[in-house]
Amino acid sequence: MALRDTAIIGYAETKIFDKTDRDVFELGADILDSLLDRTGIEKGEIDGLLLSSSMTGAGNPFWSQTTADQLGLELDFCQTVDLGGCSPVGCVARAAAAIDAGYCTTAFLLFADAQASENRMTARGFGQEWNAPYGLIGPPAAFGLLSRRYEHQYGLDYRMLGKLAVAQREHALLNDNACEKLRKKISIDDYLNSRMIADPIRLLDCVMVCDGASGLLVTSTARAKAKGLSRFVVPIGYGERTNYREAENIVDITESGHSAAGQRAFATSGLKPSDIASFHPYDDFIIAIMLQLEMLGFCKHGQGPAFIRENDFLFSGNLPLNTGGGQISAGQPGLAGGGVNLVEAVRQLFGEGGHRQVKNTDNALVTGIGWIPYGRNWGTSVVMILTPDA
Amino acid sequence: MATPINDTLDVTREPPRPSSFSRPFWEATREKKLLLQYCKRTGQYQFFPRPTSLFTGRRELEWREVSGHGKIFTYTVAHRGPGHFHGHEPYLIATVTLDEGVNVIANLVHCDLDQVKIGMPVKPFWLKLANGTHLLMFEPAPAKP
Repeated sequence: MALRDTAIIGYAETKIFDKTDRDVFELGADILDSLLDRTGIEKGEIDGLLLSSSMTGAGNPFWSQTTADQLGLELDFCQTVDLGGCSPVGCVARAAAAIDAGYCTTAFLLFADAQASENRMTARGFGQEWNAPYGLIGPPAAFGLLSRRYEHQYGLDYRMLGKLAVAQREHALLNDNACEKLRKKISIDDYLNSRMIADPIRLLDCVMVCDGASGLLVTSTARAKAKGLSRFVVPIGYGERTNYREAENIVDITESGHSAAGQRAFATSGLKPSDIASFHPYDDFIIAIMLQLEMLGFCKHGQGPAFIRENDFLFSGNLPLNTGGGQISAGQPGLAGGGVNLVEAVRQLFGEGGHRQVKNTDNALVTGIGWIPYGRNWGTSVVMILTPDA
Repeated sequence: MATPINDTLDVTREPPRPSSFSRPFWEATREKKLLLQYCKRTGQYQFFPRPTSLFTGRRELEWREVSGHGKIFTYTVAHRGPGHFHGHEPYLIATVTLDEGVNVIANLVHCDLDQVKIGMPVKPFWLKLANGTHLLMFEPAPAKP
């Protein structure tokens, strides 16, 4: 089975900056250098490159080739994965498939973006015609619409969203790579009193766009063992869904494709939600974490606030949540943002969480959210379950 | 005291650039007419305009004029507007379920914050744009008997 034959043999990340004067290629070079250093793999062994798309690189349709050239890589497999915040987790799945198919043996997965300092995106889609004339502030407005609807359908105790925000912030305080601007303790009242952006979305619901990079080195478990690598992380379940219920006009916007992606990931892994040892969901807005708890089956739809009340999401708690702070408290390095929680999950399974190491490293669940479509919640949902050295 | 809310009617709006397949929609707005795409095979409307039927992938679509009456599906109050909207906050953005069964996102005008609620009936309000087309917005409508 292809996925389980895949080994993540190394991870790396830069510190996240609210703005950097370093070129995005230099951020990538840092990640490559760090991965080679910690795995002992030689550059010449890398024959696959998978990139998350990048706002900085958005104007260049030759992004993966250009990056490979900047980093001096000769490759048998080279591609950019453009699933927004799902790209990094999607890269792991695609690397596994490429390795299984024999297209490459050792893949470098690079998630690098300097969106805060150099954003070259022009989104050609429905936006200029159907959103911009109404002053929609992009994702915050979409999540404002979503949150109001959730409140209408189920009721919403915003203090419970505040509890998630506080837990993630506590983790950022323990993460030296988190953006310094965000490493300030907050309380639930701070969350509730933060200014409205798109009511009911508050400032402390939102991610801050930053610059930064992370990456993974991926090969087959057989090759990892042959190399004498003593520790690696194995993906055992994956699910992906784009445009959930696309061919329906009126959808429940509090439901997402994570229900479908999650079912597949759990089925392939043989695990169930109560087996999950640590939870690393994509967090562009706090309420997205709660919706994913519901969609993945940690609790019933509409029961998110009660579930949050009953559980402890600190790294020391019963369901550790985004133990590096998540993107909301560590910073979102543009479209590389999906790598923040992915790399943290891998770090935890390597047992290298330091002051924020989780106790139970049996597995970790990582997700992605990609793109905001018209009048729905999000475009792509991915779910991946990882285990140490299976 | 009612919370002040901005109708954003004096915000400078660039007329949208229609695509090859949305042009009939924008042309009809010159006469304040709302056209929706209608899929003949499945008997369903769709919005926003697309180059093909969402339901069948086939191109047997026609344009049908509709009333634009509907109900608030959800809404948000924008407190930070982009571009020309900056300085005009707070203003209302609503998703409206039209009677024909599609959701449309637009500004909600002539409506107090204390008044807006999910399920509230609305009707079209047309804002004139510089090129003679109109932008579809919504305003409260008397409840149907």
